[in-house]
Amino acid sequence: MVSSIGRMIINSIKEAVGLTALLLDIVYWIVIAPFCGKLIHVRTVFYQMMFVGVRSALIVFFVTFFTGMVLAMQSAYQLEQMGATIYVASLVAVSLCRELGPVLTALVIAGRVGSSIAAELGTMKVSEQIEALEIMAINPVRFLAAPRFIALFFMQPCLTVLGNIAGMFGGFIVGVYSLNIKPELYIQTGFKFLALKDIYTGVAKSFVFALIIALVGCYEGLNTKGGAEGVGRATTQSVVLSFILIILADCVLTAIFYFSGV
Amino acid sequence: MAGKKQAIISLKNVSKVFQNRKVINDVSLDIYKGETFVIMGCSGSGKSTLLRLMTGAIKPDKGEVLVNGEDIAKISNRKLDEARKTFGMLFQYSALLDSLTVEENVSLPLKEHSRLADHIIKIIVRMKLSLVGLKGYESYYPSQISGGMKKRVGLARAIALDPVIVFYDEPTSGLDPVVGGVTDKLIKDLSEKLLITSVVVTHDMQSVFKISDRIAMIHEGALIETGTLSEIKKSKNPYLKQFISGNHEGPIDFFKEEIDIKEILNI
Repeated sequence: MVSSIGRMIINSIKEAVGLTALLLDIVYWIVIAPFCGKLIHVRTVFYQMMFVGVRSALIVFFVTFFTGMVLAMQSAYQLEQMGATIYVASLVAVSLCRELGPVLTALVIAGRVGSSIAAELGTMKVSEQIEALEIMAINPVRFLAAPRFIALFFMQPCLTVLGNIAGMFGGFIVGVYSLNIKPELYIQTGFKFLALKDIYTGVAKSFVFALIIALVGCYEGLNTKGGAEGVGRATTQSVVLSFILIILADCVLTAIFYFSGV
Repeated sequence: MAGKKQAIISLKNVSKVFQNRKVINDVSLDIYKGETFVIMGCSGSGKSTLLRLMTGAIKPDKGEVLVNGEDIAKISNRKLDEARKTFGMLFQYSALLDSLTVEENVSLPLKEHSRLADHIIKIIVRMKLSLVGLKGYESYYPSQISGGMKKRVGLARAIALDPVIVFYDEPTSGLDPVVGGVTDKLIKDLSEKLLITSVVVTHDMQSVFKISDRIAMIHEGALIETGTLSEIKKSKNPYLKQFISGNHEGPIDFFKEEIDIKEILNI
C-alpha cells in the first residue's frame, strides 16, 4: 500500500518533470530556433489547424448547443418557482462564457485531438519512425510536436468562442420556443448581465487548456513504449491526464480570477 | 595491413546494461573506410544494440564509440546532428513516415538539410528511386506498396544525402529470397559505386557471404571473432561453425538445459 502510493508519487513527479522539459523544448523550437534558421513547417501547422479546428467545429457545436439547451431547461425549472424565468437568458450566457464553454470545448478536444496526437506519435515511436527522424538529424519535437502545439494554441480559443455562441443559441431556442420569452427580450437580458470580462476570462482559460492538451498528447505519444498495447495505453493515458489537468487548471484559474476580482 | 587503413568507426571497450542485463560486454572493433562490415549473431545477441550505439541513438555505459575520430556519446547535440547528416540508415521495418508519399519520404532529408530548389530535389529523388528500381512510385504512400518496396524506399532515403556511412538493420529479413538477393546486390553496388562504408547487421548467412568484406560475430553481447570472409569460413571456433551451419546442437544453447519432452508431458 505504502509502496504503491510512493510509486504513484514518484511517477507523478517524473511525469511533471517530463512535461515541463517538453514544454521548454517546444517553446525553444517555436520562439528561439527560428532565429537560428530552424523554421517550423508552415504547411504542417495549417494542416494541423484544419484537423484541430475546422474538423472539430461540428462536434464542439453540438456538444455546447445541447448543453445550452439543458442549462436553460434546468435553470427554468428553478427560476419558474420565483417567477424569474426571464433570467434564464443571462444565466445561460454567463455560465457558458465563464465556465462551461471553455471547459466542455477543452474536454471534447482532449478526447478528439489529444488522443489522436498521442496515438499518432505513439505509433510513430513504436514503428521506429521517430528514431528514423533522429538519425536523419530531424528533431522530432520541432518536426512533430511544435506544429501541433501551435495549431491547438490558436484553434482552441476560436473553438471556445464558437462553443459559447452555440450554447447561447441552444438556450435561446429553449427560452423562445418552450418558455415563451420574446426573442428580443431574451437577447437583451442575455447580454445585459454578460460583461466583457466574462468572455475574456473564458478565452484566457482556453489558451491554458490548449497548452495542456497539446503537451500531454505529444508527451504521451513520444514516450510510448512497447507495441500496439503501448500505443493504446498512451492514448488512454493522454485523455485521462489531460482531463484531470484541465479540471485542475480550471479550478486554479477560476480561483485566481475570483480572488483578483476579474 | 589493417593498421594502415583508416578506421571510420572505432569501438573501444564498449559495454551497455539494460535493466541489470549486460547487453553489450566489453566490445572493441574497428570499421575501415569503404568496407562492408557485417555484424552477425543470433536474435537477441545484442547486434542491433551495437548498431544503435554507433548511430548515437543510445549511449554506452562504459567505453567510447568513435565515429570519424569523435566520441559520439559525448559530443553536443548540434555536433551529433552534424555527424548524423553523414549517416544513412535502413531500418528493419523501413520506418518510412506513413503520412508522407514515397517521394516526400525520400526528399525529407534533402528538404531539411540542403538549400536546393524544389525542382532539383525532385530530380535527385527520381535518381535515387531509380537506383533502387522504384521509378514511377513517387506518389504512392508506404501503406500502398509491398514490404520489399518499402525497404528499397528506405534505402533510397538512406542514401538521399550521399552519406559516408550507411547502417543496415536486418536488410533482408522478411523478404523473399529473390528480393533479398536484389537488396544484397544493391548494398554491394552502392558501397562500391558510391564509396560508402556499410555496416550491416544480419543473421542471414546467404547475405553475409554475398556482401561482406569483413565480419564480426557477436554472441550474448560479446565479440567472438572478427575477420575477413575467408578467415571466418575457415575458423575453428565452435560458435561460428554452429552459426554458419545452423545446427541446433552446439555451444550456442537456447534452452541451457536438457529438455525431456516425456517428462514435461508426464508420460
